[in-house]
Amino acid sequence: MNAEIRPAIEARAIVKAFAGVRVLRGVNLQVLRGEIHALLGQNGAGKSTLVKVFNGVHASGTFEGEILLDGAPVRFASPADARRQGVCYVPQEIEVLPALSVAENIFAGHTAPGGGLLVDRRTLRDRATQLLAELGLAIDPRALVGGLDSACRHLIMIARAISARPRVIMLDEPTASLPSAEVERLLGVLMRLRSAGASIVYISHRLPEIMSLCDRATILKDGAVQAIVERADFSQERFIRAMSGRTIQRVYPCPAPPRDAHPVLEARNLSVKSAFGAHRGIERVDLDVRPGEIVGLTGMLGSGRTEILSALYGVIPHTGVIRIAGRKVKIRTPADARAAGIALLTEDRKHTGLLFNLSIRANVTIGALSSLSRWGVVQKRAESAAVGGALAGLGLKAHSLRQTPVTLSGGNQQKLLMARVRLRAPRILLLDEPTKGVDATTRHEIYRHMLEWAANGAALIVVASELDEIIAIAHRCVVVADGRIVDSFIRGEGGEDRVLRSSARALAAAGCVA
Amino acid sequence: MVTASLKRKLVQLAASELGVVGALAVAVALFYLIEPAFLSARNVRAMLTVVSFVGIVAIGQVVLLICGEFDLSVGSVAGLASVVCATLMASFSLPVPLAVLAGLATGALLGAVNGLVVVRLRIPAFIQTLGMLFIGQGLIQVVTKGYPVYPLPDIVGAVGQARVFLGLGWSFVVFALAALASDFILRRTVGGRNLYATGGNAEVARLVGINTVRYKLAAFTLVGLLSAAAGMFVMADLGSGATSIGTGWELTVIAGVVVGGVSLFGGVGSMAAGLVGMLLLQVVQSGLVIIGVSANWQQIAVGVIMVTAVGLDVLRRRLFVQAEGGLTDER
Repeated sequence: MNAEIRPAIEARAIVKAFAGVRVLRGVNLQVLRGEIHALLGQNGAGKSTLVKVFNGVHASGTFEGEILLDGAPVRFASPADARRQGVCYVPQEIEVLPALSVAENIFAGHTAPGGGLLVDRRTLRDRATQLLAELGLAIDPRALVGGLDSACRHLIMIARAISARPRVIMLDEPTASLPSAEVERLLGVLMRLRSAGASIVYISHRLPEIMSLCDRATILKDGAVQAIVERADFSQERFIRAMSGRTIQRVYPCPAPPRDAHPVLEARNLSVKSAFGAHRGIERVDLDVRPGEIVGLTGMLGSGRTEILSALYGVIPHTGVIRIAGRKVKIRTPADARAAGIALLTEDRKHTGLLFNLSIRANVTIGALSSLSRWGVVQKRAESAAVGGALAGLGLKAHSLRQTPVTLSGGNQQKLLMARVRLRAPRILLLDEPTKGVDATTRHEIYRHMLEWAANGAALIVVASELDEIIAIAHRCVVVADGRIVDSFIRGEGGEDRVLRSSARALAAAGCVA
Repeated sequence: MVTASLKRKLVQLAASELGVVGALAVAVALFYLIEPAFLSARNVRAMLTVVSFVGIVAIGQVVLLICGEFDLSVGSVAGLASVVCATLMASFSLPVPLAVLAGLATGALLGAVNGLVVVRLRIPAFIQTLGMLFIGQGLIQVVTKGYPVYPLPDIVGAVGQARVFLGLGWSFVVFALAALASDFILRRTVGGRNLYATGGNAEVARLVGINTVRYKLAAFTLVGLLSAAAGMFVMADLGSGATSIGTGWELTVIAGVVVGGVSLFGGVGSMAAGLVGMLLLQVVQSGLVIIGVSANWQQIAVGVIMVTAVGLDVLRRRLFVQAEGGLTDER
């Protein structure tokens, strides 16, 4: 390192909060010119938020701290603004215009190079051809993007980022949807860009990729920088230790392990076909849960954890056998699942949980009204009593139960949905990221209620990104990777590092890594 | 700032269901001051009779809007059902009750077809029901060959002219009873609550075990059935199966209930307020006639009111979204 190398882009003391929950807590990051910088961390560590701050997705002013480009402070009002100043971003979710051609997608937003109003198709096509050749891609620039597979779409997004000849390129999990041949090609492209002087921020869960490609790594944990590792010190062991470094010291009450009872839920050969753009597939998943048991479904984002819950709840079609209390049941719709005594606490409260057009009270009782009605007429008194009972002890803070849940904080919205689940007293509870977007105090309360449910004999399957916390409260953890269950261990037999290692091993074995 | 909070309160009031009742009172008072004949028994009766026809359709439309869909074909369906009924009576000498049942069945069938196509084939309601509007218009011409169907049996005219309640006809009685029943259903029953849930967010409704498909199908069928009933009441009133029955109802009905605060985006609004909106629109139209404003300006007034109504709906939504506490978009 000589003095001539100064950061191409730098973040100083970035603080970003969502609805009062601090996701980034004073993060510093320096990316040097001509370097590929890895950004590592568990789900929810703040990686994606940090790159969004860097790229104007979270506009200047919505966060605290400073961004410097080549040493000069900059403010990005939007991703387009950042792009003009030479900072490009390829998001994890693919955002293409399926009805347009490859060339039009690559140059979307600046299709008229001369600044005029007309689209010069031939120029576009020629420039696209050149760019794709540079990337070593054999894609016809005239093809419609809608007809291409997800790997091609992702590569086109990368081509789009590169087309602006940026000084800084940020890639969020670029290889997650790529087959191995394309991964190698992409890594080659990135190395070439590096030698041309570009700076690259590279987010990935795939450690071997990072070992072979990156020059330095910054590891985030709970919204703060946990470690900065130079290439000379790279080792998978080092990364895993830093990512799982325990910063939250919280003691969970330890319930007695469940008796050796018969499982209340048995899933055998549970498989889901992947549906592009909707959900990934899962393959031959076997899962047992006993009454009073908490099973943690761990694994990376996109590993298939959520799909297992969705299949069990009848949200997405599946094959395989599900037995409830020893009896085979067919679960084709959520109504079937509910009839079998299964309840789901959704991850996405806004889109699949709450009804903003109804009152808090009606939100609690919706779906369970038949037991609170006579001749189809809702009995107000019975409803009020039931809502009171379901909310008891949850500590939901609201001005009135007649208001809509719109103004409730994330934690209170989650309590409302927990009351909805509780009202039906389900035998089997599926919880998808129950503490997402929730502050620390409420998080603790939610875990306490989960333990209470288990103590009362319910079977819980929990998906959570906060590995240390889920490992602390689950009786058994199951590791999901690439749509399969790859490991399973009971409390005390393993920790975060075991989950990370099992996932990494499974992904490597699946040939996902160069 | 006092003015800001006052302004906000006023905006909320204007956008709330209370607003439409206030607007109705203002409009009635204004027309009465300009021309006292506006509140003459005859004119009030005339207004209520018109409202009872389109109001029957509006009841179905409110239910459908609340469960998140809408129907542009109500006028065509009403027209087709009435000419089918009239033709069966006049040309095929079918007994009146059977012909009426056939008319109702026609409406329910077309409504069910709308529902099936929207729910099963996932064709947007706008396209399917606009298509049905044209199909219905065409079928009216096919059935009648372009000529009004008459004479109808005497009993039909007698029912149309009967005055059963404060000088109002059967159509008003049916309208009032259906309005009360549907308001109760929406407000108090499990089915009503589930309709709101379906329109508020169909995915959430499905996840809590509500059969959203069944509710939407039922609502579409109900709209068809009520449209047919309204069309046949007009037929009885005219004593003829006129080919023009129902023309333009689709927009009158949607404009009216939206004025009453029923959201075009589903899940929001009440039966009572929606029907008051229908009344308000009729009061304005009729009032302009009474005070002698030319027909051209009446059309303009209807247009302005429709836009204002949708503007209020959008405003309500914006207030709704503004209040939203920016839940994390972090993954």
